[in-house]
Amino acid sequence: MGNMKIKAKVKGDIVKVKAAMKHAMLTYDQAKAKGVDANFITHIEAKVGDKVVFEVSTSQFLAKDPLLKFKFKSEGLKKGDKLAITWTDLSGKTVTEDKKIKGLK
Amino acid sequence: MERRKFLGLGLVAAALVPASLSAVDFRKEKPDTWTAHKVADSIKALYGDIKPEEKDVTVKAPKIASNGGAVPVTIQSDIAAKSVALFQDMNPESTVAVFTVAEGGIVDYSTKIKLKATDENGGNGTITAVVEGTDGKFYMGNVKINVAKGGCEG
Repeated sequence: MGNMKIKAKVKGDIVKVKAAMKHAMLTYDQAKAKGVDANFITHIEAKVGDKVVFEVSTSQFLAKDPLLKFKFKSEGLKKGDKLAITWTDLSGKTVTEDKKIKGLK
Repeated sequence: MERRKFLGLGLVAAALVPASLSAVDFRKEKPDTWTAHKVADSIKALYGDIKPEEKDVTVKAPKIASNGGAVPVTIQSDIAAKSVALFQDMNPESTVAVFTVAEGGIVDYSTKIKLKATDENGGNGTITAVVEGTDGKFYMGNVKINVAKGGCEG
Protein backbone atom coordinates (compact mmCIF):
# COMPACT_ATOMS: atom_id res chain seq x y z
CA MET A 1 0.00 0.00 0.00
CA GLY A 2 1.09 3.50 -0.47
CA ASN A 3 1.89 4.08 -4.12
CA MET A 4 -1.57 3.86 -5.63
CA LYS A 5 -5.10 5.01 -4.98
CA ILE A 6 -7.50 2.56 -6.55
CA LYS A 7 -11.27 2.85 -6.73
CA ALA A 8 -13.18 0.03 -8.41
CA LYS A 9 -16.96 -0.13 -8.34
CA VAL A 10 -19.63 -2.04 -10.19
CA LYS A 11 -22.39 -0.11 -11.95
CA GLY A 12 -24.82 -2.37 -13.75
CA ASP A 13 -22.70 -4.93 -15.57
CA ILE A 14 -19.61 -2.75 -15.79
CA VAL A 15 -16.76 -2.20 -13.36
CA LYS A 16 -15.57 1.40 -13.33
CA VAL A 17 -12.02 1.99 -12.17
CA LYS A 18 -10.18 5.13 -11.20
CA ALA A 19 -6.52 4.63 -10.38
CA ALA A 20 -3.80 7.10 -9.49
CA MET A 21 -0.18 6.10 -9.04
CA LYS A 22 2.82 8.07 -7.80
CA HIS A 23 5.61 8.37 -10.33
CA ALA A 24 7.76 11.30 -11.42
CA MET A 25 7.39 10.30 -15.09
CA LEU A 26 10.61 12.09 -16.01
CA THR A 27 10.89 12.63 -19.73
CA TYR A 28 14.23 12.44 -21.51
CA ASP A 29 14.24 16.26 -21.76
CA GLN A 30 13.35 16.77 -18.10
CA ALA A 31 15.93 14.21 -16.97
CA LYS A 32 18.64 15.80 -19.08
CA ALA A 33 17.95 19.18 -17.50
CA LYS A 34 18.29 17.62 -14.05
CA GLY A 35 21.32 15.54 -14.93
CA VAL A 36 19.64 12.24 -14.10
CA ASP A 37 18.40 9.24 -16.07
CA ALA A 38 14.97 9.44 -17.63
CA ASN A 39 12.50 7.21 -15.86
CA PHE A 40 8.81 6.79 -16.50
CA ILE A 41 6.17 4.09 -16.32
CA THR A 42 6.21 2.01 -19.50
CA HIS A 43 3.51 -0.59 -18.83
CA ILE A 44 0.41 -0.79 -16.67
CA GLU A 45 -1.69 -3.90 -16.26
CA ALA A 46 -4.84 -4.57 -14.24
CA LYS A 47 -5.97 -8.08 -13.37
CA VAL A 48 -8.72 -9.80 -11.50
CA GLY A 49 -7.21 -13.11 -10.45
CA ASP A 50 -5.49 -14.45 -13.57
CA LYS A 51 -7.55 -12.43 -16.01
CA VAL A 52 -6.07 -9.28 -17.51
CA VAL A 53 -8.85 -6.69 -17.69
CA PHE A 54 -6.86 -3.65 -18.73
CA GLU A 55 -3.44 -3.12 -20.22
CA VAL A 56 -1.50 -0.22 -21.66
CA SER A 57 2.06 0.36 -22.89
CA THR A 58 2.98 3.94 -22.08
CA SER A 59 5.48 6.67 -22.88
CA GLN A 60 7.18 9.57 -21.14
CA PHE A 61 4.16 11.67 -22.09
CA LEU A 62 1.72 10.55 -19.45
CA ALA A 63 1.45 13.28 -16.83
CA LYS A 64 3.35 13.06 -13.55
CA ASP A 65 1.58 10.82 -11.02
CA PRO A 66 -0.53 9.25 -13.76
CA LEU A 67 -4.25 9.03 -13.41
CA LEU A 68 -6.18 6.37 -15.30
CA LYS A 69 -9.86 5.67 -15.68
CA PHE A 70 -11.06 2.53 -17.41
CA LYS A 71 -13.98 0.10 -17.51
CA PHE A 72 -14.51 -3.60 -18.06
CA LYS A 73 -17.39 -6.08 -17.92
CA SER A 74 -18.23 -7.48 -14.52
CA GLU A 75 -19.43 -10.80 -15.93
CA GLY A 76 -17.96 -13.72 -14.04
CA LEU A 77 -16.79 -11.68 -11.08
CA LYS A 78 -17.95 -12.42 -7.55
CA LYS A 79 -18.01 -10.68 -4.21
CA GLY A 80 -14.58 -10.38 -2.69
CA ASP A 81 -12.77 -10.24 -6.05
CA LYS A 82 -9.87 -7.84 -6.04
CA LEU A 83 -8.48 -5.69 -8.81
CA ALA A 84 -4.69 -5.83 -8.89
CA ILE A 85 -2.79 -3.11 -10.75
CA THR A 86 0.86 -3.47 -11.68
CA TRP A 87 3.07 -0.84 -13.22
CA THR A 88 6.57 -1.30 -14.61
CA ASP A 89 8.94 1.55 -15.35
CA LEU A 90 11.94 2.10 -17.58
CA SER A 91 14.35 1.11 -14.80
CA GLY A 92 12.61 -2.26 -14.50
CA LYS A 93 10.93 -1.52 -11.19
CA THR A 94 7.47 -2.96 -10.73
CA VAL A 95 4.84 -2.10 -8.15
CA THR A 96 1.62 -4.04 -7.60
CA GLU A 97 -1.28 -2.99 -5.41
CA ASP A 98 -4.80 -4.28 -5.15
CA LYS A 99 -8.24 -3.26 -3.99
CA LYS A 100 -11.51 -5.09 -3.51
CA ILE A 101 -14.06 -4.29 -6.21
CA LYS A 102 -17.10 -2.67 -4.59
CA GLY A 103 -20.64 -3.62 -5.42
CA LEU A 104 -20.07 -7.22 -6.51
CA LYS A 105 -22.67 -9.77 -5.47
CA MET B 1 18.33 -42.24 -16.32
CA GLU B 2 15.02 -42.56 -18.10
CA ARG B 3 13.16 -40.72 -15.32
CA ARG B 4 15.53 -37.78 -15.53
CA LYS B 5 14.92 -37.52 -19.25
CA PHE B 6 11.19 -37.50 -18.71
CA LEU B 7 11.41 -34.70 -16.15
CA GLY B 8 13.65 -32.72 -18.44
CA LEU B 9 11.01 -32.87 -21.19
CA GLY B 10 8.38 -31.65 -18.77
CA LEU B 11 10.41 -28.57 -17.93
CA VAL B 12 10.91 -27.65 -21.57
CA ALA B 13 7.20 -27.99 -22.30
CA ALA B 14 6.33 -25.67 -19.40
CA ALA B 15 8.69 -23.00 -20.66
CA LEU B 16 6.95 -22.89 -24.03
CA VAL B 17 3.52 -22.05 -22.62
CA PRO B 18 3.02 -18.26 -22.56
CA ALA B 19 2.38 -16.92 -19.08
CA SER B 20 -0.44 -14.59 -20.01
CA LEU B 21 -1.98 -14.78 -23.46
CA SER B 22 -3.24 -11.23 -23.54
CA ALA B 23 -0.24 -9.48 -21.98
CA VAL B 24 1.32 -7.46 -24.74
CA ASP B 25 4.09 -5.02 -24.12
CA PHE B 26 4.01 -2.75 -27.14
CA ARG B 27 7.21 -1.07 -26.06
CA LYS B 28 9.02 -4.34 -26.65
CA GLU B 29 6.97 -5.49 -29.64
CA LYS B 30 7.05 -2.24 -31.60
CA PRO B 31 10.04 -0.18 -30.50
CA ASP B 32 10.04 2.13 -33.54
CA THR B 33 6.60 3.45 -32.65
CA TRP B 34 7.96 5.12 -29.55
CA THR B 35 10.80 6.99 -31.25
CA ALA B 36 8.96 8.30 -34.30
CA HIS B 37 8.38 12.04 -34.39
CA LYS B 38 5.52 12.33 -36.87
CA VAL B 39 2.14 10.80 -36.07
CA ALA B 40 1.96 9.16 -39.51
CA ASP B 41 5.34 7.47 -38.94
CA SER B 42 4.29 6.23 -35.52
CA ILE B 43 1.09 4.78 -36.89
CA LYS B 44 3.01 3.05 -39.65
CA ALA B 45 5.57 1.62 -37.21
CA LEU B 46 2.79 0.30 -35.01
CA TYR B 47 0.15 -0.92 -37.44
CA GLY B 48 1.77 -0.89 -40.87
CA ASP B 49 0.40 0.86 -43.95
CA ILE B 50 -3.17 1.25 -42.81
CA LYS B 51 -5.96 3.51 -43.92
CA PRO B 52 -8.10 4.11 -40.85
CA GLU B 53 -11.68 5.21 -41.37
CA GLU B 54 -12.45 8.40 -39.54
CA LYS B 55 -15.49 7.24 -37.63
CA ASP B 56 -16.81 5.82 -34.37
CA VAL B 57 -13.84 6.95 -32.28
CA THR B 58 -14.36 9.88 -29.95
CA VAL B 59 -11.40 11.74 -28.49
CA LYS B 60 -12.15 14.39 -25.91
CA ALA B 61 -9.84 17.03 -24.50
CA PRO B 62 -10.33 20.62 -23.38
CA LYS B 63 -10.25 23.13 -26.25
CA ILE B 64 -7.76 25.16 -24.28
CA ALA B 65 -5.50 23.47 -21.72
CA SER B 66 -4.00 25.73 -19.11
CA ASN B 67 -1.48 23.17 -17.85
CA GLY B 68 0.53 21.42 -20.53
CA GLY B 69 1.90 19.06 -17.91
CA ALA B 70 -1.44 17.37 -17.27
CA VAL B 71 -3.99 17.59 -20.05
CA PRO B 72 -7.07 15.39 -19.52
CA VAL B 73 -7.87 13.16 -22.50
CA THR B 74 -10.67 10.64 -23.00
CA ILE B 75 -10.88 8.01 -25.75
CA GLN B 76 -14.16 6.27 -26.31
CA SER B 77 -15.41 3.86 -28.94
CA ASP B 78 -18.07 1.15 -29.27
CA ILE B 79 -16.04 -0.77 -31.84
CA ALA B 80 -15.03 -4.31 -30.84
CA ALA B 81 -11.35 -3.54 -30.49
CA LYS B 82 -8.06 -5.34 -30.20
CA SER B 83 -5.90 -2.33 -29.45
CA VAL B 84 -6.15 1.45 -29.22
CA ALA B 85 -3.25 3.83 -29.80
CA LEU B 86 -3.02 7.44 -28.65
CA PHE B 87 -0.88 9.98 -30.50
CA GLN B 88 -0.29 13.73 -30.51
CA ASP B 89 1.79 16.00 -32.70
CA MET B 90 3.17 18.45 -30.15
CA ASN B 91 5.90 16.46 -28.38
CA PRO B 92 9.29 15.30 -29.71
CA GLU B 93 7.83 11.83 -30.18
CA SER B 94 4.23 11.31 -31.13
CA THR B 95 3.15 8.07 -29.45
CA VAL B 96 1.66 8.52 -26.00
CA ALA B 97 0.18 5.13 -25.18
CA VAL B 98 -1.02 1.88 -26.73
CA PHE B 99 -3.85 0.06 -24.98
CA THR B 100 -4.34 -3.67 -25.43
CA VAL B 101 -8.06 -4.32 -25.19
CA ALA B 102 -8.68 -7.38 -23.06
CA GLU B 103 -11.59 -9.76 -23.50
CA GLY B 104 -14.57 -8.05 -21.94
CA GLY B 105 -12.67 -4.79 -22.10
CA ILE B 106 -14.42 -1.56 -22.96
CA VAL B 107 -12.83 1.25 -24.93
CA ASP B 108 -13.46 4.14 -22.60
CA TYR B 109 -10.21 5.41 -21.21
CA SER B 110 -9.31 8.65 -19.45
CA THR B 111 -5.90 9.85 -18.49
CA LYS B 112 -3.77 12.96 -18.33
CA ILE B 113 -0.95 13.62 -20.76
CA LYS B 114 1.89 16.05 -21.34
CA LEU B 115 1.73 18.33 -24.34
CA LYS B 116 4.58 20.64 -25.25
CA ALA B 117 3.70 24.12 -26.41
CA THR B 118 6.57 25.55 -28.45
CA ASP B 119 7.13 28.66 -30.52
CA GLU B 120 6.95 26.35 -33.53
CA ASN B 121 3.52 24.90 -32.79
CA GLY B 122 2.18 27.98 -31.04
CA GLY B 123 0.50 25.77 -28.49
CA ASN B 124 -1.70 24.21 -31.14
CA GLY B 125 -1.92 20.54 -31.84
CA THR B 126 -4.04 17.51 -32.55
CA ILE B 127 -4.60 14.47 -30.37
CA THR B 128 -5.35 11.34 -32.40
CA ALA B 129 -6.62 7.90 -31.43
CA VAL B 130 -6.47 4.87 -33.73
CA VAL B 131 -8.57 1.80 -32.94
CA GLU B 132 -7.55 -1.61 -34.26
CA GLY B 133 -10.81 -3.51 -34.65
CA THR B 134 -11.15 -7.23 -34.10
CA ASP B 135 -12.51 -7.18 -37.66
CA GLY B 136 -9.02 -6.36 -38.90
CA LYS B 137 -10.02 -2.80 -39.85
CA PHE B 138 -8.77 0.45 -38.38
CA TYR B 139 -10.69 3.50 -37.23
CA MET B 140 -9.65 6.85 -35.93
CA GLY B 141 -10.79 10.02 -34.25
CA ASN B 142 -9.07 13.19 -33.22
CA VAL B 143 -9.49 16.50 -31.45
CA LYS B 144 -7.69 19.80 -31.78
CA ILE B 145 -6.25 21.44 -28.74
CA ASN B 146 -4.54 24.63 -27.66
CA VAL B 147 -2.07 24.54 -24.79
CA ALA B 148 -1.09 27.65 -22.88
CA LYS B 149 2.67 28.06 -22.96
CA GLY B 150 4.89 27.74 -19.94
CA GLY B 151 2.79 25.04 -18.30
CA CYS B 152 4.82 21.92 -18.97
CA GLU B 153 8.43 20.73 -18.77
CA GLY B 154 8.92 21.94 -15.17
